[in-house]
Amino acid sequence: MNLNLDGTKPIYLQISEWLEREILNGNFESDQKIYSQYQLAEIFNINPATAAKGLNILADENILYKKRGLGMFVTSTAKERILSKRKNETLKRLVEEIVLEADRLNVSKAELIEMIKATSIGEVEK
Amino acid sequence: MMSLTTVSLTATLKKQYSYKLRAYNQVFWNLVFLQLLAVLFSLNGVGMMGSSSESIEVTIHYYSADFVVFFTMIWGLIIAIIITTKAYRNDDFTFVTNRLSHNLSNLLFLLTACLIGGLTAMLSANVIKVITYFFDGQLIVDSTSLTSALGEFILGTFTTSLYIFLCCALGYIVGTLVQIHKVFVVLVPVLFFGGLFLLGVSGNETIVTNFFGFIFKESSILLFMIKVMVTSGLLFASAFLLSNRMEVKQ
Amino acid sequence: MSVIECHGLTKKYERNRALNNLSFKIEENKITGLIGRNGSGKTTLLKIIAGHLKETTGEIKVFSEKPFNNLTISANLIFIHDQMNLPTALNLQEILAAAAKFYENWDAKLAYRLFDYFSFNQSQYYQDLSKGMKSTFNIILGLSARCPLTLFDEPTTGMDAAVRHDFYRAVLKDYIAYPRSFIISSHHLNEIEDLLEEVLLIKEGKAHLHLPVEDFKEWAIGIQGKSSIVQEWTKDREIIHTKNIGTDQSYVVVRNQFSDQERQRARTAGLNLTSVTASDLSVYLTGKTEGGIDDVFNHG
Repeated sequence: MNLNLDGTKPIYLQISEWLEREILNGNFESDQKIYSQYQLAEIFNINPATAAKGLNILADENILYKKRGLGMFVTSTAKERILSKRKNETLKRLVEEIVLEADRLNVSKAELIEMIKATSIGEVEK
Repeated sequence: MMSLTTVSLTATLKKQYSYKLRAYNQVFWNLVFLQLLAVLFSLNGVGMMGSSSESIEVTIHYYSADFVVFFTMIWGLIIAIIITTKAYRNDDFTFVTNRLSHNLSNLLFLLTACLIGGLTAMLSANVIKVITYFFDGQLIVDSTSLTSALGEFILGTFTTSLYIFLCCALGYIVGTLVQIHKVFVVLVPVLFFGGLFLLGVSGNETIVTNFFGFIFKESSILLFMIKVMVTSGLLFASAFLLSNRMEVKQ
Repeated sequence: MSVIECHGLTKKYERNRALNNLSFKIEENKITGLIGRNGSGKTTLLKIIAGHLKETTGEIKVFSEKPFNNLTISANLIFIHDQMNLPTALNLQEILAAAAKFYENWDAKLAYRLFDYFSFNQSQYYQDLSKGMKSTFNIILGLSARCPLTLFDEPTTGMDAAVRHDFYRAVLKDYIAYPRSFIISSHHLNEIEDLLEEVLLIKEGKAHLHLPVEDFKEWAIGIQGKSSIVQEWTKDREIIHTKNIGTDQSYVVVRNQFSDQERQRARTAGLNLTSVTASDLSVYLTGKTEGGIDDVFNHG
């Protein structure tokens, strides 16, 4: 996996998002040890301090927990937390942007909802 | 945190000294070349005297290694100047050094070079003897002999080395001055030759001639040694002091 | 313990000041990027740290000692730059052997493997190498010496892109295996920014900014939109860069001190907010005018 290094999104956020995806995909079970900052640094070719920042974000959100001298582990509630975070933050922000863009284009709310519905049907059929 | 390395001056000196013997080996090739050249010159003889009567004709050629010693002294002067130049100075500052260890290792290197130069100069006297023996094939009256005068040979090597060392000391201080300011490139020769000739013309003894007299007219070997060592020591010490605040420039 | 600490460091050459009252502090075991334009004093600073030059006024401590003419400091740091003086009489292998003697932590295996990887030949001489190969050989010295402090001044001069990336990776891997302090000055900030932990940006001999690289990337924000609206949003702010686009659009870079709500309102007002890449920001910050080269032509 490659990071998006064009500077639009901080590297540490990309790291924490990548780890979240790893957890969501089931590559890490609860109470399993996750990558260390040094492993992440090697994988993504970044400074270990940056990798640590990505890990710490997840620790602050109780997705990971620290064991002194052993490293970071996945909490039992990690998946739920990631999902709710994505719903409340990522999805909300995306919706805001869509609404804003629709506003600029004079697309009404109803029209927008129709578009969303059409898109989701397309998803299911695929 | 990586623990800091502590280094002693003597340990660094040893490393720098062996580094220099390898990195500056070019100077020894120059020595070989110069001495061979000097041997060739010497084969002409340094002097000739002839007398003849009706039945006998005597020609005396004097051969000596003076040329070789002179050339080696010039060599000492030049290598001392060369190792004070930027290229050589900065070689040291690439690795571990401070100004004192840099200067001291240079001193050790020059001492070694002088001993080698002195030894080969003395040996070249024998080369001259052998060559003249084979090619002239005439009667050789030797003022020294190989077997009986080992002591003399050692003493000769030592005094020759001292001559070279004095030249090195002169070269080193001149080189250091030039490194400090380019004006010395002009100033040093002007002062030297000015001191030698200009004042000399008026018939007075000058500092320069006095200095050479002080060193080279000394008839006691022991005093000569002391004079040379003290003078060279002072010259090196002033070079060390002058360069101790010197910056490394590209 | 901090690795480097300096207060009011000033270095004068004849009349101009290469360093002018520079103060900063670098903590141990970090990779710090030294950023600045040509002539901003980066090399002078590194030479003072290495003990090659002596400060005119002010104070500098490296490992709590004054670096000038200091044998201990010299033994604990290696200064790699693009004008390295290496003995012309020794071949590359002999130079590595000489360097090995000088540095206590020298890793001969690493030196040999890098030497091999970059296809050097034992009997080559340094002075016969191309510019890029010289730089590559220099970094072998710098990494293998494994000094507590490694100074790289423009280490990638003349290297092609592939070798540059190998170099960054090599520094990172060796740093992870043997944590120690690095200071790297480079014109290729976009290439080294991920390797760095901190950025020290120098402008006209002064420390302009010194902060973690991630903060540096978020330090400023680009605002693009209708000039009148942009102007209104940026009027009381620290403007770093401005550029006019078309007739009524402009792009302005300001300090990023907006709250989330403000950003939201700005977006609603039709402004486009973008992050500013570290290398762009460093160019804007070290430039003499807000508009850069465009100003030359606009005022002509």
